[in-house]
Amino acid sequence: MTTITDIDLLEGLRKQSPKAQQQMLECYGRNIFAQVARLVPGIENAEEVYQDVFVKVFNNINRYDAEKSALKTWLSRIAYNESISFLRRKSLPVVYYEDRNGEAEKLSDEEVDETFGRPNAETVQLIRAALKHLPPDERALITMFYYEEMSLKEIAYVTESIPTTVASKLSRTRKKLYKIIKILQS
Amino acid sequence: MKEEQLNTLRQQDINLRDALKLDEAELPQMPADLNARVMQRATQQPRKTTVRRIWPWLAAACVVGFIIVNLMPPKASSPISLQGEGGVVAEKESQPEVETPSVEQPSIEQPSAELPIKHSAQTRVKRMVAKVQPAKVEVSEPFAEEPLLAQEVATPETEKKTKVEPTVTLTERDIPITRPENYKYTPEEIALMKKQANEAYLKWAQLELEIAKHNLEQTAQK
Repeated sequence: MTTITDIDLLEGLRKQSPKAQQQMLECYGRNIFAQVARLVPGIENAEEVYQDVFVKVFNNINRYDAEKSALKTWLSRIAYNESISFLRRKSLPVVYYEDRNGEAEKLSDEEVDETFGRPNAETVQLIRAALKHLPPDERALITMFYYEEMSLKEIAYVTESIPTTVASKLSRTRKKLYKIIKILQS
Repeated sequence: MKEEQLNTLRQQDINLRDALKLDEAELPQMPADLNARVMQRATQQPRKTTVRRIWPWLAAACVVGFIIVNLMPPKASSPISLQGEGGVVAEKESQPEVETPSVEQPSIEQPSAELPIKHSAQTRVKRMVAKVQPAKVEVSEPFAEEPLLAQEVATPETEKKTKVEPTVTLTERDIPITRPENYKYTPEEIALMKKQANEAYLKWAQLELEIAKHNLEQTAQK
């Protein structure tokens, strides 16, 4: 939740203090940029979305409710929504794998666990290639859970969903990733 | 899948975590001047929130006004629409005005078949006629010219009542359309509607026959 430094920061932001705004950019800017860059292709697009995110944050700081989430999680939510809106607005051509027949669901958990669990450099490269074939929102989900180590509740807040939906989506995406790896191997 | 299971997988899926770490390292770096650009944009951008928030309320107010204007009952030209004692008196006063054609033109007037309704109307009118005598003569002429669509069947009881009260007679036509007793069709209106329905049915049957004949001719020619 909100720390003491966050409280001071929030006070300054509500007064529209440039110093507080600068401090916020220094504290959270790098993470937010990385999050945006994962979702939005191209550095110019990522810069544009990054600016939109923080302008929106500065203008709507009074809407932040410290009881609902931490400041970082709130920022992540705005960044996620802005990125998804940007992708929809621009209709950028994105090619990704779609499991229409639900074949990934039929895969056994043991196979999937073994592929992801047993250390193997070749598998790592295959996973990296497979990640590029995931839709942006599913990729963001995997990254938030595995890389940023966010809880299901935090991810649900960011994606405006509920924890059970996030859990089932994570499980499905994991199997889908395995399916893509199998296709790439063949 | 439960959260505990997923948390266990998070620790076990080493390859996936390594792949994500490598991908993160290859992400484009944030430009050094990007934060300065953000600050510049934040200071330059004026706030528009107040303007944005007013227009939904204005739109809602316009819609509410429109609904109120459309749903408000129309103002009646006659005093019948007035409420309170003044309105009741005006309503009663209008009834004796309506009654006068029955007094001066007995050929048009026929007592009503619907006893309870007429009785209450007539008693009410009785009281008002006693109050408003001069108004009778003035209003009679326009009502005399109305075509007779609603005729009332005479019954012995109503005839007696009309005899007892020579100046007080009401036809169903005279009662305003907003009164509940005027919602029913008279027997004459019902007979007319049945006749029209029969004629329409006959015409339809004739048309169907013609269509059938035409179709037969067409198939015969083929």
